[in-house]
Amino acid sequence: MIGLLAALDISEAAFLGLVVATIQFATLLYLAALGEAIAERSGVLNLGVEGMMAVGAVCGYIGAVSTGSPWLGLVIGALAGAGAAGVHAVVAVGLGADQVVSGLALTILGLGLANFIGDGYTDDPRRSQFTDIDIPLLSDIPWIGETVFSTTPVTYLAVALGLGTWFVMNRTALGLGVRAVGESASTADAAGHSVAVIRAVAVLVGGAFAGLSGAYLTTTAIVGAWSEGLIAGRGWIAVALVIFGAWRAGRVATGAVIFGFTLALQTRLQPFGVDFSPILLSMLPYILTVIVLIVISIRARHQPSPAPAGLGIAYRREER
Amino acid sequence: MRGGQPIAFVVGLVFALVVGAALLTISGDPVFDTYQRMWDRSFGTADTLSATFNRAVPLALAGLAVSIAATMGLWNIGAEGQIMFGATAATLVGRIGAEWPSPVLIVAMLIGAALGGALWALGPGLAKAEIGVSEIITTLMLNEVAVRLIVYLQTGPWKDPDGFGFPQITVKPEGSQLGIIWERSHLGVLIALAVIAGFAWFVNRSVWGYELRIAGASAKTAAYAGISMRKKVLGVLVLSGAVAGFAGGVELAGTAARLNENISNGFGFAGIIVAALALMRPSGVALVAVFFGAVQVGGQSIQTLGVSPAVAGILQALILFGAIGAAVLSTYQVALVERKVVTP
Repeated sequence: MIGLLAALDISEAAFLGLVVATIQFATLLYLAALGEAIAERSGVLNLGVEGMMAVGAVCGYIGAVSTGSPWLGLVIGALAGAGAAGVHAVVAVGLGADQVVSGLALTILGLGLANFIGDGYTDDPRRSQFTDIDIPLLSDIPWIGETVFSTTPVTYLAVALGLGTWFVMNRTALGLGVRAVGESASTADAAGHSVAVIRAVAVLVGGAFAGLSGAYLTTTAIVGAWSEGLIAGRGWIAVALVIFGAWRAGRVATGAVIFGFTLALQTRLQPFGVDFSPILLSMLPYILTVIVLIVISIRARHQPSPAPAGLGIAYRREER
Repeated sequence: MRGGQPIAFVVGLVFALVVGAALLTISGDPVFDTYQRMWDRSFGTADTLSATFNRAVPLALAGLAVSIAATMGLWNIGAEGQIMFGATAATLVGRIGAEWPSPVLIVAMLIGAALGGALWALGPGLAKAEIGVSEIITTLMLNEVAVRLIVYLQTGPWKDPDGFGFPQITVKPEGSQLGIIWERSHLGVLIALAVIAGFAWFVNRSVWGYELRIAGASAKTAAYAGISMRKKVLGVLVLSGAVAGFAGGVELAGTAARLNENISNGFGFAGIIVAALALMRPSGVALVAVFFGAVQVGGQSIQTLGVSPAVAGILQALILFGAIGAAVLSTYQVALVERKVVTP
């Protein structure tokens, strides 16, 4: 390994920095994408991720510095994200309005609200951040230990939420209900599931996860503070990631690491002496997602598409 | 419901102002002064009204682009990226033809912008028409590619050599500025009106537009009528992209000094809201765009009162949510249901 790095003329510190940044960005993207995947599995497309993350980020920051606890900041960020998602739940699920329009309006509302709430906090010097936690024994492993097993508790939380989501979706009656509602709302309704309630809850949980993701930015050393434009399009990557990961918690995690790596490369490319524009590289997640979508569509001629069949279709019971 | 849309819009506006007032009150900002200032600086005088019209131009053209795609039931979420790439293409034309006479240069830039927008929508159009890939996500993704392309150009190939090291693109050539027609309003206002009127006629009166509306209403009917869905889907998305790209060109030639990553400034996304509020009708798009332009221009002016300019974004989203609520709730009817009393 060290021989390989030497051959590529990469310093050990630069390599470790790249791994650490990859883990950080993967955590950020995974939390938001996992939430979006839950909402989409129930049949609701929510293009408000960017806005929900912004609201979660600013509320998480204010919560963390005013209580002195980054944990409380995280909780407040999640609640704020869920609150923002509540707008989509009411408009797109409750009133049955078009999901695309409602979600995009939620992004505009969320970014506006975040900037409005955070108006007096942009130059706030206060910090309330998580510190890295070493996992006993594992963190002593060279290379891997000091990067993968010595990071903030939020990363471990993201892994736990991923496992929990997989379990609920695939091994419980609740998960079956969510998937049934997402595949065919009218059939699920006939089978006794409450479509509106399940979809609304899935949207709220998705919002809470997006809020967590935003708060992760402002309660850890990645950024640790609030500023306008903080989310910087990473909510859209989360939307892309759901497709890339075929709406499955595990595959979304793999995608989060890949996309996180490309984001990390942008900030950590210089030490490697690579002469390639990091900006061009940053286009990669979006182009990859388009390619994956095309591949899914071509394969869908022979095998079922991984997308929930009822995704994006509003359900009005009286029109059943 | 369609006839009730102006009422729904007014309800949305009132809803937005009321919720906005609550937010301002909570944060300790002066409600009346804020709204007064926003009105004065958007509709208040001829000078501010002309600035509002300028702002309405990209909003209306983006809204038109979205509504063209919507006639076929398609969502062009990529107007933002098409505006940016359209402006990029116009800048390229400007760099090539810097010495051309002014009218030739401007016309060439606007044509270049429309072609650029069409090119940016071509990929999603082909993917949708040929293999059925959802245009929602592909057009959305290309927004993020377009903004990075501009950042790349301004830090690298097109970096201004006289920019004191700042990553910025050279100012547009002389003679590439659209003329002023009234106060601060530039010629783009008339151009946008003409384009909107043209498309309104085109969609409602031409054979192609008629076929579009049939295809949008029912794919089966279209197939019986011998209308090729593939060609229609591709054509309508590319046309939608061309209009959005054209908006980028007008914005560049009308108000911007140079191309930068904020050239679209959220016009593509706001355009979707505008189109939705106008129920995808071109005439409505123009009217709603003027209102949104006023909210945006007015929103910039309240900073001097110590109020966050973010209020503008909040109000725009709330207008939509309020209008949706009014439109949906107005379709519900109170029904009297006789209950049978069951005696045990």
